[in-house]
Amino acid sequence: MLPYIAKRVLMMIPTLFAISIIVFTIIQLPPGNYLESYIAELEAQGESVDRQKVEFLREYYGLDKPLPEQYLRWAGGMLHGDFGYSFEFNMPVTKVVGDRMLLTMIVSFVTILFTWAIAFPIGIYSATHQYSWGDYGLTFLGFLGIAIPNFMLALVMMYVANVFFGTTIGGLMDPEFIGKPWTWDKVKSVLEHSWIPVIVIGASGTAGMIRRLRANLLDELSKQYVVTARAKGLPPRKVLRKYPLRMALNFFISDIGSLLPHIISGAEITAVVLSLPTTGPMLLNALKSQDMYLAGSFLMFLAFLIVVGVLISDLALVALDPRIRLSGGVAR
Amino acid sequence: MIRRLVALVALLCLAAPLLADEPPALAEEVAAGRLPPLSQRLPRTPRVVDVERPGWTVGRYGGDLHMLMAKDRDIRMMVVYGYTRLVGYDEQLRLRPDILERVDDDANRVFTLHLRRGHKWSDGQPFTAEDFRYFWEDVANNKDLSPFGLPRALLVDRHGPRFEVLDATTVRYSWDSPNPQFLAALAGANPLFIYRPAHYLKQFHARYVGLAKANAIATAAGSRNWAGYHQKLDEQFRFDNPALPTLEPWINTTPLPTTRFVLVRNPYFHRVDREGRQLPYIDRVIINVTDDKLIPARTGAGSVDLQMRYLRFDNYTFLKQAEARNRYHVYLWEKAIGSQVALYPNQNVDDPVWRKLMRDARFRRALSLGIDRHEINEVVYFGLGEESANTVLPRSELFRPQFRKAYASFDLTAANGLLDALGLTQRNDDGLRLLPDGRPMEIIVDTAGESTEETDVLELVRDSWRKLGIALFPRPSQREVFRKRVFSGKAMMSVWSGLSNAIPTPEMSPSELAPTTQEQLEWPMWGQYYELLGNGGEKPTPPDVQKLVQLYDEWRQARTDDERERVWLAMLAIHADQVYTIGTVTRALQPVVVRDDLRNVPKEGVMSWDPGAYFGMYHVDTFWFDRPEVAKVSKP
Amino acid sequence: MNIQRDLLIPAEAKAEAATLEETQALDPGHFVSTEPFDPGSAAQLPPGQERFYLASQWTLMWWKFKRHRLAVASAIVLLAMYSSTLVTEFLAPYNLHTRHTDFIYAAPQRVHLFHDGRFVGPFVYPQTKSLDMTTLRRVYTPDRSDPRPLRFFCSGDAYRFWGLVPMSFHVVCPPRNGTLFLLGTDRLGRDMLSRILSGARISLTIGLLGIALSFTLGLVIGGLAGYYGGWVDMTVQRMIEIIRSFPELPLWMALSAILPVTWSPVLIYFGITGILALLDWTGLARAVRSKLLALREEDYTTAARLMGAKPSRIISRHLLPGFMSHLIASATLSIPGMILGETALSFLGIGLRPPITSWGVLLNEAQNVNVVALYPWLMLPVLPVIIVILAFNFFGDGLRDAADPYR
Repeated sequence: MLPYIAKRVLMMIPTLFAISIIVFTIIQLPPGNYLESYIAELEAQGESVDRQKVEFLREYYGLDKPLPEQYLRWAGGMLHGDFGYSFEFNMPVTKVVGDRMLLTMIVSFVTILFTWAIAFPIGIYSATHQYSWGDYGLTFLGFLGIAIPNFMLALVMMYVANVFFGTTIGGLMDPEFIGKPWTWDKVKSVLEHSWIPVIVIGASGTAGMIRRLRANLLDELSKQYVVTARAKGLPPRKVLRKYPLRMALNFFISDIGSLLPHIISGAEITAVVLSLPTTGPMLLNALKSQDMYLAGSFLMFLAFLIVVGVLISDLALVALDPRIRLSGGVAR
Repeated sequence: MIRRLVALVALLCLAAPLLADEPPALAEEVAAGRLPPLSQRLPRTPRVVDVERPGWTVGRYGGDLHMLMAKDRDIRMMVVYGYTRLVGYDEQLRLRPDILERVDDDANRVFTLHLRRGHKWSDGQPFTAEDFRYFWEDVANNKDLSPFGLPRALLVDRHGPRFEVLDATTVRYSWDSPNPQFLAALAGANPLFIYRPAHYLKQFHARYVGLAKANAIATAAGSRNWAGYHQKLDEQFRFDNPALPTLEPWINTTPLPTTRFVLVRNPYFHRVDREGRQLPYIDRVIINVTDDKLIPARTGAGSVDLQMRYLRFDNYTFLKQAEARNRYHVYLWEKAIGSQVALYPNQNVDDPVWRKLMRDARFRRALSLGIDRHEINEVVYFGLGEESANTVLPRSELFRPQFRKAYASFDLTAANGLLDALGLTQRNDDGLRLLPDGRPMEIIVDTAGESTEETDVLELVRDSWRKLGIALFPRPSQREVFRKRVFSGKAMMSVWSGLSNAIPTPEMSPSELAPTTQEQLEWPMWGQYYELLGNGGEKPTPPDVQKLVQLYDEWRQARTDDERERVWLAMLAIHADQVYTIGTVTRALQPVVVRDDLRNVPKEGVMSWDPGAYFGMYHVDTFWFDRPEVAKVSKP
Repeated sequence: MNIQRDLLIPAEAKAEAATLEETQALDPGHFVSTEPFDPGSAAQLPPGQERFYLASQWTLMWWKFKRHRLAVASAIVLLAMYSSTLVTEFLAPYNLHTRHTDFIYAAPQRVHLFHDGRFVGPFVYPQTKSLDMTTLRRVYTPDRSDPRPLRFFCSGDAYRFWGLVPMSFHVVCPPRNGTLFLLGTDRLGRDMLSRILSGARISLTIGLLGIALSFTLGLVIGGLAGYYGGWVDMTVQRMIEIIRSFPELPLWMALSAILPVTWSPVLIYFGITGILALLDWTGLARAVRSKLLALREEDYTTAARLMGAKPSRIISRHLLPGFMSHLIASATLSIPGMILGETALSFLGIGLRPPITSWGVLLNEAQNVNVVALYPWLMLPVLPVIIVILAFNFFGDGLRDAADPYR
């Protein structure tokens, strides 16, 4: 198994490299650069800009250097933890981002847990009670979860929560905890505010997972060994538990590969609407103002998160599923 | 815990006579000896603020002022609202010395600035002429820190001033030709800073600690070299360096990035009220950063004490509904711009056929007459705006009714007549007029693509221009692309807000009315010509535009207010006649949300960037909370 | 001796029997018919079963699909929606750009049938506007004494049918000198129903175009990878992995930010379609590849290759039909993703922008607290989005279930 792990980790490297080139190209494509957007924005707000300052900054940030050199500086910097410089905030990207990456991961992680917790029982129920009213009803709810655009849901829920529950609008915690160290009160506050984002982001992921789980489980349940087990007289619950459920678990782990990108991108837009202190709103602003290092670093981070998540899920799958281990490859 | 409290109270009682006038938030520090007493913190002659406004009262100390902003960067608004300047505008738009005790102005050429003796920075160090000298010698004239020379506002005909330090509290700037914009630049919302906290910045300057050490400090902190680091720390307007001493009423204590700024009172602030109590009244300002779309929602939910930015007119109904429930009031202030949405025919457009038309006043007048301003007013501004050409507002002394009415009525017959007189009588099958070269008259209006207000107005204008036989196509863009297109002549017409200073006095610069900078959307190349002193752009050819340039130079050389007023009126009259920019509706209303018990905020005011600095000229340092608990001791 | 012959029926004894009768006498339980042999008779089926066994693959799919009621209903709904985009101008009571300055932010009007107890036919009460100057709100009060019947198959706002033919036919029009705002109006007084119907054109077709593009891409790339294997396969796999590692929406955001804003609306429309398709083909390519890899080893493929068929013919003629149905099902299930993607991008302000009208653009205009609190009917465009996505999902599900009729 070790050579398998090593191989997978090694394969990650060219993938990440290719991703970084793509990200860099994307960031550089829009016309103009950060400084021009900066000037334009200030002037639009009626503030005047010191021309000389602008020229100074242009030279200082190396915006006049050729592209390959800018890329090497950026990529090279990333390798030793220097994600470059954010023009907008006038400080290293790592400081700007700060808590946001952590909060993004927390929100995504909690959403995945939520998705699992909901999808698992519902998927099993649906598969075992196929074509019943419960199945239809839950499937319909699941579809609804996919169909309602999460940003609209976020907007409406946010307003409703404020009017009916008095939750502060926007943000992941009450304002007095911002920037303060983590105490129980802060954790409570975060949890209080998280339920809307988690529901909104998780809604469509849950529905998809329910459907896939149901399909997989149905496949398993129609196999010969299940029929045999039933014929042997095993009680239905035990039949379910002994083998098909384990297959379902396998499926859960392997499904992270498709779930994770979905959740992360869903989290981005929801975060923009709800103004959460995660990477979403910052990414959108950075893209709009072409703060190159900041936007690029965010994209790299998100892609990295996904690659690592998929790797972990593959490794977990290998650990769980002896068939893959023995055949030495991944069949996903 | 109890013992500490008792000790504190005892200390306070003992020190009570000394603390009589201390802001309660600072009382503990003064009693403990960490802060000098009030008499040593204020300058010998502090500035006495006594606002002549009905309803204005002397206030009480205490409270936290909550506001909402949409970006980290908006922390700079506290420098705008704080409005601590060498000279500043009051509510009547008169320039008054603020930080300075006195200004001697000799024919706008020689300015002698007198500082207040004993004035200190927010960290207790003295504020003296040395801070001006440091700026002049070690920043503005330092090749590393200012590779591109002096700030433009200090230049007259490319020459800088002569700078002299007369004594510890007096400095002098002298030019050979008048620099009438000098004081206005010092009083701007984003002002010209001619001083620096020298004692703080010297530790990062190569001249004072040596090149090697300065560079070492800089690179250790992540900057490229000492100059970059110095620049980064030295952002008095950006207000993002909590360690930088300031003269503003509140000091920012929160470094970026953050979603919550906490600003505390400046114990060395130089202003007092008429009873000798040091301002500001409010102890802390808390700014929460949130998405701009959520700001109206959060304001309506009662999370702010004072809010103006990011509230739009169409939020009024929503805010009004929640007024009683959330204990605030919504006032409507007037936006001080020449026109909410104005069209700028580009007289420097590439296309020669269009260029000829754009430069013809009859064409511009026809376009202006073809706009149904009444409809725009009704639809977009609830009928509460004022239909007008793009000119100064009635509350300015330079206003004349004929400026507002010039070609601003809705008269399709007259407009069509003008277009016919221009020879544009051919039409195609769709009813569109044809240009002399046969193309249909399709005007493409570039927009920066951000404001639904602009989109809506353009939609309405499009329909009425159709009746003139002219088609309008909006072309949304991104801001910098938009500007580039205008400056390079690719855009034939653009849309933006109107005159940015719509409440001028004769002493203020009429530079907006003449081609003086490339940034002007109606004549970027003529403006560039002036800006670069002939080394770029194009020389203006129409006689009326040349007259404007000439009048502007006259204003700069003028010696009396009467002369300046004459120039202003002449320039405004030319604009009214020539319709260089087409205004639509002005005096639109801006909602301002004020907590019920926040006093000294005017019910009616003007939202103006320069002059005025939004809340700045209304003295935010004198706003106070009328609450019973505020009278007690509050911890900073 | 006779007993022996009775008990044993040696073949020789049978063979010896000269006639049928003799054979029968030998073995009364054994019936042999004298009719000439009819090969079809052994496999004679009742007509129903015969139809079933002789049916082609597509017929089988259709039957299986029909059993899935929900999918059929969804298909009908989708058909209705798409055909409505052909005749939008007929269905909408107003033109897309018609403004009513006097009816800004008007709430939806209800259609009544009975007035004062009498049946009058479908009608609306006219609304009068008044301004509430304390809250700065427009208030519309219906005048309940004056029923105005709707007109049908009438002449209303003029338009150009498909941009060519000037017409003014509408299925339903507002009453003469009256208004018909079934879903309310927006901030410029434009009828929401008409706007939603017009938005359908853009939103629905983006999905179709996008899917066509990504389908082609997926097919070609996946096909090449699956068929040729080797380094082609490896490169394609790496590419797919890289693209799948990207979070979808942020990448769409980034790419949209790249589209030059000076492009005409039509170009931007195609640009957005392209962007959406660019990230979507990977799923399809993977499916194609894995199926091809499996089918490649089949005997009939080898046979075809040995007979000299070119790879393109093998792929298209022999391999593809085997799983085309799966592909179509997958493709159908991707369309909702694209529609949601365009809606999301326009909602964020980086996709389509006014003056193009799509559901996403309409929702973008509804994205503020004013709307949620005061004018909630502006959020109605979310309903058709939900319906279309649900319909596509059910439809795709049905297709997928029906795709392999031999299971």
